[in-house]
Amino acid sequence: MLAVNSRVLRSGALALLLAACSSQPSAPPKPLVLSPDAVRLAAQATFGPTAAVVADIQQRGAAPWIDAQLQTPPSDLGTYPVVADNVNAVCPTGSSATCYRDNFTPFLTEAAFFRNAISGADQLRQRVAFALSQVVVVSGAEVRPNYGVAEYEKLLLRDAFGTYRQLLEDVTLSPAMGRYLNMVNNDKPNPARGTSPNENYAREVMQLFSIGLVQLNPDGSVVTDSSGTPVPTYDQNAVIGLAHVLTGWTYPLQPGATQRTHNPPYYLGSMVVVPGNHDTAAKTILGGTQIPAGQTPEADLAQALDTIAGHANVGPFIGKQLIQALVTANPSPAYVGRISAVWADDGHGVRGNLGAVVRAILLDPEARGDVKTDPSYGRVKDPVLLLTGLARALGVATDGVYFARASSSLEQPPYLSPTVFNFYPPDYTPESNLVSPASALLDSASVFNRANVFLQLLYSPPGPDKTVNGSTGTQITLGDLAPFGNDSGALVDSIDALLFHGTLSSSQRLAVLDAVNAQPAGPSWVRAAAYVVLTSPHYQVER
Amino acid sequence: MRISRRDVLSGLSMIGLSAGLLGGRRTAHAAGDDYRALVCVFLFGGNDGNNMVVPVDARYSDYATARRQPTDGGLALAMDQLLPLAPASGPAQYGFHPSMPELQQLWNQGALAVMFNVGTLVAPTSKADDSAGRVPRPESLMSHQDQQNQWQTSLPDRPSRTGWGGRLADQLPSAPLPPLVSVAGNVLFALGTSSHPLAVPTAGGATFGLSGFSSSPGSRALVTAMTALRGLDLDNALIQSVAGETAAAFAASGMLSPVLAGTGSTTDALFQSQPSVLGDQLLQVARIIEARSVLGATRQIFFVAIGGFDTHNDQLNRQAPLLAEVSSSLSAFYTATVQLGVASQVTTFTLSDFGRTLAPASGGGSDHAWGNHHLVLGGAVQGRQTYGTFPTLALGGPDDFTAQGRWLPTTSTDQYAATLARWFGVAPGDLGAVLPNLGRFASADLGFLG
Repeated sequence: MLAVNSRVLRSGALALLLAACSSQPSAPPKPLVLSPDAVRLAAQATFGPTAAVVADIQQRGAAPWIDAQLQTPPSDLGTYPVVADNVNAVCPTGSSATCYRDNFTPFLTEAAFFRNAISGADQLRQRVAFALSQVVVVSGAEVRPNYGVAEYEKLLLRDAFGTYRQLLEDVTLSPAMGRYLNMVNNDKPNPARGTSPNENYAREVMQLFSIGLVQLNPDGSVVTDSSGTPVPTYDQNAVIGLAHVLTGWTYPLQPGATQRTHNPPYYLGSMVVVPGNHDTAAKTILGGTQIPAGQTPEADLAQALDTIAGHANVGPFIGKQLIQALVTANPSPAYVGRISAVWADDGHGVRGNLGAVVRAILLDPEARGDVKTDPSYGRVKDPVLLLTGLARALGVATDGVYFARASSSLEQPPYLSPTVFNFYPPDYTPESNLVSPASALLDSASVFNRANVFLQLLYSPPGPDKTVNGSTGTQITLGDLAPFGNDSGALVDSIDALLFHGTLSSSQRLAVLDAVNAQPAGPSWVRAAAYVVLTSPHYQVER
Repeated sequence: MRISRRDVLSGLSMIGLSAGLLGGRRTAHAAGDDYRALVCVFLFGGNDGNNMVVPVDARYSDYATARRQPTDGGLALAMDQLLPLAPASGPAQYGFHPSMPELQQLWNQGALAVMFNVGTLVAPTSKADDSAGRVPRPESLMSHQDQQNQWQTSLPDRPSRTGWGGRLADQLPSAPLPPLVSVAGNVLFALGTSSHPLAVPTAGGATFGLSGFSSSPGSRALVTAMTALRGLDLDNALIQSVAGETAAAFAASGMLSPVLAGTGSTTDALFQSQPSVLGDQLLQVARIIEARSVLGATRQIFFVAIGGFDTHNDQLNRQAPLLAEVSSSLSAFYTATVQLGVASQVTTFTLSDFGRTLAPASGGGSDHAWGNHHLVLGGAVQGRQTYGTFPTLALGGPDDFTAQGRWLPTTSTDQYAATLARWFGVAPGDLGAVLPNLGRFASADLGFLG
């Protein structure tokens, strides 16, 4: 019904416009015609639909396109100077104004993140790595050297389609994570000093990175006891036990340096063992698993990670968060259950195969289809995706510098989360019974921040930044929509196809046309149409 | 269309508010009205209260023994560095962290009180009750997220999508602006059942309105289309939610954007000596309070926040600058309320995830714990006093439910919140709607607000 109405309006508006522009000599360009489901897949699996990526999906089919994406290697994130983790030594008083920004904030890595997100071929890999970066969080707010944060981001890109067990091990031994959650130089108990092993990583690797606080059924529902109380996954003793397991690791040895019991900060490679700092007593960890006395740090760690990664919660706990990051914030229990099953076994006996899980999430019947009418379906877009969505749809070429800055003012600078709890909680519930994690970043202040960033990108994208080496600035060609600057009907049709997979109603189209027709024809039409639709509530929600 | 960045849309004309209407409001709410405001300062990460307020009497040795010396990887502050908190008569029993001289001064002036060992509690408990499992512990004790949430909901035994600030706002009559204003984004504290908070940018931050718009027909057409689009086809609940947030922002922008830009503010200078994350937020609060008559506000609840208190390592170096920022910015804010003549109408208080272990952790830090000490500031505060019960600083002692110095709270968040809510004007009979678990605790008034 809706589709019929808008089609009627579409031709009517077109006729009206053609009459108004009868002096136009050349034939009007044909509006974009795109498969709605292919556009939806592009919105879920990339940093924003473009006519080209949608055409690629249509031509290959969804599953083959995903399979090709799973094989695409990571984009190059760049290499950054290895510096001592000491601001005063590296950037003493009198050093250049950019020394601190370039070496001790993730600014340059963020610019590379946006360059790759906007134009890289490995769209799905980057999208999944971005989702993982919001689960296994490391933040440049605490891990200062930029090269260390970049190394961590590369780890996530590399492991995005591997097994979760491997990811968990690489994350656990990452010096950036070691620094962030204090597993680095975490020593066995010292009775003389009265110190206990640090509980920070032990707690969060379970609470946030793998199983969560309460036992889950495969469909994500909470396991309760006879009185209806949720059953916890672990208690404080399991945290203390795991904290003891995780003793005896220090920073990797920088080439040319001498091994010490606490190596100085160095963020390339994995943390290394210092057996003398490892607690060799027996420990009890998650689920009552016994770690026998006298094991090496490596053996203790392997047993603990096997126990955690093997826990029944990991599939529903992490799988559901990936569904929320890619497809819909309120998936049905059945959808979560199907993903948990793939998590448990990818069909080849492999557990936690992230590539297979992502493929199943995107090909699930709850993800696919031309239109979703369930009133709770969809996800509020992350600010990062709003930025990249605009850039990809409207032909933005950029060095990423403006985007790095804009992501900060929109409260989602990648790899610069305020805390290990990410930019928003996964269970943020702005309305009754309606989870919407990214809604935590949408408030009355951010409404204007977003509109004002869109305005700047559309109307006056900033040129090269003299303080950044090789900066080329940001340019906008209006991309797939550029041809429609003299045909407002085709313009609105094309916006509808590319950004709304054909769901704009006749009244929405009329509102956009009113805004367009008040501007002089040409690029201003495209900018005006883009501005009013990008700031609309409908664009902020992917469904 | 010409979009000029100099033509910043104030929004006043856009939403049809005339100067005459504003003038009318100013008259209706002249100074001397019964304006009251609560200002919640959240210390995210779990502030180590054990080093914020330290006994300086005979109990100091318990403290120093358990905390260990810094030369030994410990956390003990030296006795002679603590800032004594002398009561109205008699010797000081406690001292502040050395980074808090401004708050020591406010203590001496009688504007600041310290509330000991508050925490999330399902019901009153004791070490015996707790270890026997007679009183259930809060859900997910020692988890940041959960304990942050429970401090904000004061419902540690159940999930809640509303916070006690929001439920407090639910009690208020309708006003031109939402009574709850966060300068730190969306927070659970601020969500009510019927009321919805505003979030505003920090001072010196973004504009609270559209930039670059003029009164040209092209500009106006854009705004008209935006207004139309956010009212259309709200069949999806997420879209409806975003549309509601957007509409609320535009509705408030006209009145608030000049205030938030500092137009007419007389307190800016007080905050300029120490620009900081917290100070910039509190400046925004001061500006809104100064404009309360223009805004037609008689009851307001504010939320500001500062993070970084999760000091698992290197705590001595990391907590000091944070407490210094709390001290200097709270002091600037209090001075602003004095200057505006509303010091006794504004009460500021702290919340935080939880306290931290008294015993140090590997790396010179401390781990997650439970009960914690808090600050209450304002002209109405019965200051220069401590409230509640200070825990026995012994590892494994009568207040420690573990062996690392984690305090069983002796006062609940319900009682703390109820004391503030009563002062704010909630009738005793309505406190249960704000704090459903309050009836489980002996006193609904801890006395720090007279």
